[in-house]
Amino acid sequence: MGIHFREVSFHYPQNQLTFYQAIADITLQIAKQDEFICLIGRTGSGKSTLAQHMNALLLPTEGSVEIFGSLITNKRDKKINYNLLRKHVGLVFQFPEYQLFEETVEKDIMFGPLNFHVPPEQAKQIASETIKLVGLDETYLKRNPFNLSGGEKKRVSIAGILAFDPDILVLDEPTSGLDPQGKIQMMELFKAIQAKTGKSIIIITHDMDLVYEHASRVIVLHDGSLIYDESPEVLFRRGDLEQFHLQYPNTIKVLSALRDRFGLDLDIYQKNLPDALLAIKKAVAR
Amino acid sequence: MKNIVLGQYLPGQGFFYRMDPRTKIIGVIALMVAIFLLETIPQLLIALAIGVVCMLLGRLSIKRIAKGMRPLFILLIFTFFFQILFNKEGSILLQETLTISLASIGAIIALTILWRLLAKLRRFRFLLLLGYLAGVYFSLAYLAYGYTFASFVFTVYERGVEMSVFVVIRLLVIITLSTILTLTTKPTDLTQGLESLMRPLKVIGIRSDEFALIISISLRYIPTILDEANKIMAAQASRGADFLQGRLKDKIRQIISLLVPMFIIAFKRSEDLADAMETRNFIPGMKRTRISELAFGKTDILATLFIVSSLAASIVLRVL
Amino acid sequence: MSHIDIRDMSFTYTGKRMILKDINLQIEQGEWVAILGHNGSGKSTLAKTLVGLLEPAQGTVAIAGTIITPETTPAIRKQIGIVFQNPDNQFVGVTVRDDIAFGMENLCVSREEMLERIAFFAKKVGMEKYLDKEPASLSGGQKQRVAIAGILAMQTGIMIFDEATSMLDPYAREDLMKYIRQLHQEGLTIIMITHEIEEALLADRLVIMKEGKIFADGRKEELLKQPEVFAQSALVMPLALQMAMQLDDEATFGEVKAFLWESTFAK
Ligand SMILES: Nc1ncnc2c1ncn2[C@@H]1O[C@H](COP(=O)(O)OP(=O)(O)OP(=O)(O)O)[C@@H](O)[C@H]1O
Ligand SMILES: Nc1ncnc2c1ncn2[C@@H]1O[C@H](COP(=O)(O)OP(=O)(O)OP(=O)(O)O)[C@@H](O)[C@H]1O
Ligand SMILES: [Mg+2]
Ligand SMILES: [Mg+2]
Repeated sequence: MGIHFREVSFHYPQNQLTFYQAIADITLQIAKQDEFICLIGRTGSGKSTLAQHMNALLLPTEGSVEIFGSLITNKRDKKINYNLLRKHVGLVFQFPEYQLFEETVEKDIMFGPLNFHVPPEQAKQIASETIKLVGLDETYLKRNPFNLSGGEKKRVSIAGILAFDPDILVLDEPTSGLDPQGKIQMMELFKAIQAKTGKSIIIITHDMDLVYEHASRVIVLHDGSLIYDESPEVLFRRGDLEQFHLQYPNTIKVLSALRDRFGLDLDIYQKNLPDALLAIKKAVAR
Repeated sequence: MKNIVLGQYLPGQGFFYRMDPRTKIIGVIALMVAIFLLETIPQLLIALAIGVVCMLLGRLSIKRIAKGMRPLFILLIFTFFFQILFNKEGSILLQETLTISLASIGAIIALTILWRLLAKLRRFRFLLLLGYLAGVYFSLAYLAYGYTFASFVFTVYERGVEMSVFVVIRLLVIITLSTILTLTTKPTDLTQGLESLMRPLKVIGIRSDEFALIISISLRYIPTILDEANKIMAAQASRGADFLQGRLKDKIRQIISLLVPMFIIAFKRSEDLADAMETRNFIPGMKRTRISELAFGKTDILATLFIVSSLAASIVLRVL
Repeated sequence: MSHIDIRDMSFTYTGKRMILKDINLQIEQGEWVAILGHNGSGKSTLAKTLVGLLEPAQGTVAIAGTIITPETTPAIRKQIGIVFQNPDNQFVGVTVRDDIAFGMENLCVSREEMLERIAFFAKKVGMEKYLDKEPASLSGGQKQRVAIAGILAMQTGIMIFDEATSMLDPYAREDLMKYIRQLHQEGLTIIMITHEIEEALLADRLVIMKEGKIFADGRKEELLKQPEVFAQSALVMPLALQMAMQLDDEATFGEVKAFLWESTFAK
């Protein structure tokens, strides 16, 4: 169960004669439960394309994707209930503008639940609960989603997916455009959802701090190929990240600057502020 | 909806892309006139063949173009039957009394079920449809048993068949011509070409630049609306309302739920677009320089020769 | 007189709720200002009033001594370039090349010059291989890069970036920041709306917005000494400073703290 990519390649048609290979030969397994995966890579490396394969919005040109037991190949299969797949895997788009289409925020959040046969009153109830989860108050429910600020749109787009309670969450840059505290709260929300339900969560991001602090597994794409699939501890000990246009998390950067400046015996691989402080204290005491 | 090519530029190579938009615009108009001058099916077929050869030489994928014109096939089929049914000239080719009776209705229902069952054989869909239509026709013609509800005489005339074939081919050639134009010319180039061609009209008081702007904005708008439709469909699909799935009733409901937001969003989008244009100093009617230069090159000379000789040939054929 | 001069300005979209309230903000020529603030605090709205897209309900906005009115906007816009928050809504051209050219075409830049600048700026943002692509077939970050190139190519004296780097990879972001710093050194006025504190640290001055008002405004060295300002406006201090502040034992950590402060501002 879960999602299983087998040698998946995807081509975008470019003009009549050529195509653009956005991802190449990806083999990858994502369990249904307890995964916290970050998908990273430079701009244009194929992350969003890969994500859209996870709920069969894009069909692989070559290879196959198995989503909760349904085998997705490059032909649409009449026997597969695609709507059911979308109930299994919820995808938040990179641009909230691509996702919002109803006249009010409330209707937009209710769209998913209604499609999955939740009664209208209950869907309404869900909408007013989810909007609070993403850090907005109920007054937003009656507003037009297109007249919101960038960060507010992002929050509503996340609410629209959380509302129908998918089994796996795929979030394409869910924190871009959020204010710093909003970012922290959003990550706490995802963590809480996982702690409560065990759902696997996949996040695309350019924020290395977030990756280091939260991910249990990091997948790195480069020019459409999967180059690393490992824990962040292993990844950020590598020396070649810059070559893939990646960076090191801030904790590591600051701690290594300290270590070099004072010649401290400092373990620079700390994931968050409290650990980093402890490490500094220990090192200085030595 | 991804494969709607109509009116959309598709980047590529080949001489069609290198030609000056002005040559292409005038060429398409001239060739359309030439096509309208032709009078027989063989002449049209030759024109079609020449067109196909040109497309091959210009490295355009015919398959792709045909795929993009698919929505227009309905128009072609409609024209075809319209001509057959209503053109009553020439000798009678076929006359049949069609009867709607219990037996024929039964047969049609059976055929329909068979057709839907076989429809899984995707590859032969078109043949199947033809077979189905033929079956319906024969049941109506020969199964006049049981209670009869109505009957009418169906007559096909020679001219009707001829004209329907003729008109369909002519339409096909003309659609292909304009598809080539819009497919290989960037909207910006197209409007720039139009603007430049219409400049002489200034004498009689028509502002060519404003006219060109209106055209360019509408050209820019068509793909925007289609894009918007695609995006909303993806958004709805990923929240459990897949357009390609479900019964006809669901689909109709979904089309409605697509149309309203599509126009609202496209409208909102065009507002944002206008803002973006404005902040980048765009003022309608103001002088501006252009990145793409219209240049009349070798290809254009050859093309002009070709166009002129085609036009001349059809005039000669007509007059003879 | 300041280069950008906003006086007692208020703005409302609906006529009811004021989105911007009594904004007073003066920005000098050659300054680099970062605008921070929670979602919905009015940053993008403020930026739009600066380019005359939104008209204040009260008060005035003046650029280089000219108050923005419908009559003066065309002239004023020649001096300001703005990259909007959503790159998707600002594509005018059919291809990347056409889009980068659009602003220059309107400024009547000569064709040779345009080609030169397109080559230069496309390379600057790493999009030189994509010049013939259509905007719809670009990734999120690539769209942002093109939007940025289109504005840089206009070479205006004031540049506003509204979360223009939110979808760039860290490397591309750093690259772009290096270039913006260079522009700043050449004397351009830069206004950068951002949620990334590390990015804001590159500016000289921070303006923090909260609920439609300017909540704090000052040199970054001053503001960063007031953690309460950050806490009250949904912001988070730079990591190194958080460390410095929590290492309270001055005797043991004095040197470390000094270094952390220093390295934060050395950027
Ligand atoms: N609709 C499309 N048609 C053609 N090419 C496309 C299309 N969408 C994306 N591409 C190309 O495919 C590649 C991968 O795009 P994708 O959106 O998956 O990147 P990404 O990793 O999500 O990048 P980002 O971090 O910028 O969002 C890019 O080089 C892009 O130019
Ligand atoms: N077109 C509009 N009509 C009505 N209200 C609007 C409109 N655009 C924005 N708003 C509201 O105005 C407020 C300020 O929006 P603005 O976009 O300026 O915020 P922002 O500071 O840029 O936020 P973000 O960090 O999320 O981009 C928000 O509460 C938003 O809901
Ligand atoms: Mg992406
Ligand atoms: Mg904003």
